[in-house]
Amino acid sequence: MYHKPSAALNTGSPPRACYFQASAGDCTGCGKLDATVPTGKIKNLLVANRGEIALRIIRTAKVEGIRTIAVYSEADAGAAHVAAADEAVLIGPPEPAQSYLKGSAIIAAAHANGADAIHPGYGFLSENEEFARATLESGLIFVGPPPRVMAALGDKISARRLAAQAGVPIVPGIEASDLQSARMFAQRVQYPILIKASAGGGGRGMRVVVRLEDLEDSLESASREARAAFGDGRLFIEKYLARPRHIEVQILGDGSGEIVALGERECSIQRRHQKLIEESPSPAVGHELRARMCEAAIRLATRSGYRNAGTVEFLLDGDDFYFLEVNARLQVEHPVTELRFGCDLVAEQLRIAAGERLVEPKRPRGWAIECRLTAEEPEHGFRPATGKVLYLQLPSGPGVRVDSALEQGTVVTSYYDSLIAKVVSYGATREEARRRMIAALDDVSILGVGHSTAFVRAIVASAPFAHGELSTRFIEENSPSSSWAHEHENAALIAAALATGDSKEFSFQSTDSGSHDPARNSSRSSPWSKLGNFRLWNTR
Amino acid sequence: MKLRRLGQTLPREVEIISHQGSVISARIDDQTIRAILERTADGSFMIRIGSHRVRINAVRSKGSILVAAGPASFEFKAVEAAESRPRIGLASPRVEAPMPGRVLKILVVEGAEVGAGDGLLVLEAMKMETTLYAEGAGMIAKVLVVQGQMVDHGDTLIELSPLRDSSNAESPPRGR
Repeated sequence: MYHKPSAALNTGSPPRACYFQASAGDCTGCGKLDATVPTGKIKNLLVANRGEIALRIIRTAKVEGIRTIAVYSEADAGAAHVAAADEAVLIGPPEPAQSYLKGSAIIAAAHANGADAIHPGYGFLSENEEFARATLESGLIFVGPPPRVMAALGDKISARRLAAQAGVPIVPGIEASDLQSARMFAQRVQYPILIKASAGGGGRGMRVVVRLEDLEDSLESASREARAAFGDGRLFIEKYLARPRHIEVQILGDGSGEIVALGERECSIQRRHQKLIEESPSPAVGHELRARMCEAAIRLATRSGYRNAGTVEFLLDGDDFYFLEVNARLQVEHPVTELRFGCDLVAEQLRIAAGERLVEPKRPRGWAIECRLTAEEPEHGFRPATGKVLYLQLPSGPGVRVDSALEQGTVVTSYYDSLIAKVVSYGATREEARRRMIAALDDVSILGVGHSTAFVRAIVASAPFAHGELSTRFIEENSPSSSWAHEHENAALIAAALATGDSKEFSFQSTDSGSHDPARNSSRSSPWSKLGNFRLWNTR
Repeated sequence: MKLRRLGQTLPREVEIISHQGSVISARIDDQTIRAILERTADGSFMIRIGSHRVRINAVRSKGSILVAAGPASFEFKAVEAAESRPRIGLASPRVEAPMPGRVLKILVVEGAEVGAGDGLLVLEAMKMETTLYAEGAGMIAKVLVVQGQMVDHGDTLIELSPLRDSSNAESPPRGR
């Protein structure tokens, strides 16, 4: 269900008159279109990102007839997003600080290649106010909120204040990070407390503190991590809710004061504050609660003068919800909303950036679930995995969408985020979407890089997940395991035994006929080195 | 042969008893398992155990065997005969980087004694901090890296020596 600022909630009645008005001036309740923001038809779009989201944005641009310019680091020379774009510009060495975070190089690449707009994707520079400002000042369109809105909402401390002013409930907390204030706050609200980075995102710079002894270390390491990740070590502290659900509302604003809410997503399945599984709608949100949450999100967005796509995140504790933060950008989990609403949020973003007014969203239907597959090894404490993809199979089929930039031959490095694929399923009901997800995940096969697919598959197949009993502590409280995993391990053990050559019938053979693997031509002393590191095993 | 799955402490014993055509008889630990092997057009194999059928691809890399069994991924290392014998002192005197990354902070100094659970070093990879902890007691013999240094998977970071009066240290440190 989508929501508008007032009236017509959930009723299916026509939108307010001003909703479709072409001129903002016709509606007294709406603000004027922000004259400082360059708009206009986008014909050439630079995508300032990499991986699946760069591919995703390029795809929509193609559909819209927009020429695309990719940027890439030396580590991504052969990457899928580079191949997909109409042009590709090398912007620097692998380290993000010298490439995907280097705003000046990206803006220069945009001008040199005739771009009229920059889409930042998520992560990297997407919520960097200075980058957005520099983009606009150089005369380009920035596909995202205006810098001043980004500044007000991207900073978690100022967003908290804004939410409070908009009458949106907030978690009890303090805007201080010195040991003394933290100690007093913890004494008042009782442990556990949660330290958060004001510039934070994705769990970085975030620490749960359960006892006084850990407080000083946690403050120090959170600040250090925040400085490293965001260049801003400012922290704030909140009461830690024991078993909340994470519910967020997708909003779109066109800058005229009109805001729509495209329902909620539940993202409670998280590990160390990194979302693993998201769905829309939420099994915990009924009609009335949805209306309240969407209205709160719209109030906050309206107050901040929001423009373009954004997400207002809440923690849900029983029937009470609290403002968490605003993500002033496209979210990783946006596809679940797209499947339910039959829309393309990137296309909406481009239209809004070009100065067009919002159109009424379609009615939401069915249920969508997304699983994030990461290059992490759950059986080894979620250690980040790196390596070259030697074999790759990704699922497809009715009600299945896969957003991924992974290809056979892709080298997963430690320079960037560990997300390698998003598998999204859709069904008429939650149970249908869930079963489609299990079937889809069973079709995933990746050799060469450790990954988390079996882990998320076990969660989706578990009884508590099937019953919709979710909380942000789900992974701590449930350790889904199955005979399924045991059978797979047995099959893998047999394969490993065969592959090591105990059996005369089997040997490793290279399926890689290329000569780019230096190991192939080096030492020939052992049977393994003769074939290099990249050998698939086959029967003779 | 004995194979240990990465992240697990107990090795599994697997032996191919017979292999005729597509039929394989294997002993895994104390269980005999019959498996059917079929080849697919893309070079993978399907292994059937009972009613369970799974796509398999495998490769040997850097001394371990990587296996993709359907959506599950495995990394096995062959366990040397000597490694399964009980031993005295530290199982591994070296703390190796479990992943490529940057040394963010070194929490110990040479000569310091550490106990199980003590933090040794903080690594940063994929923008996340990972602390390496000591799983047993020992003395820091050598710190081989400096703060800010980039390290590769498998690089030795710290060398430990057993405590003079104790031999209860058992397993190498690992990321937590």
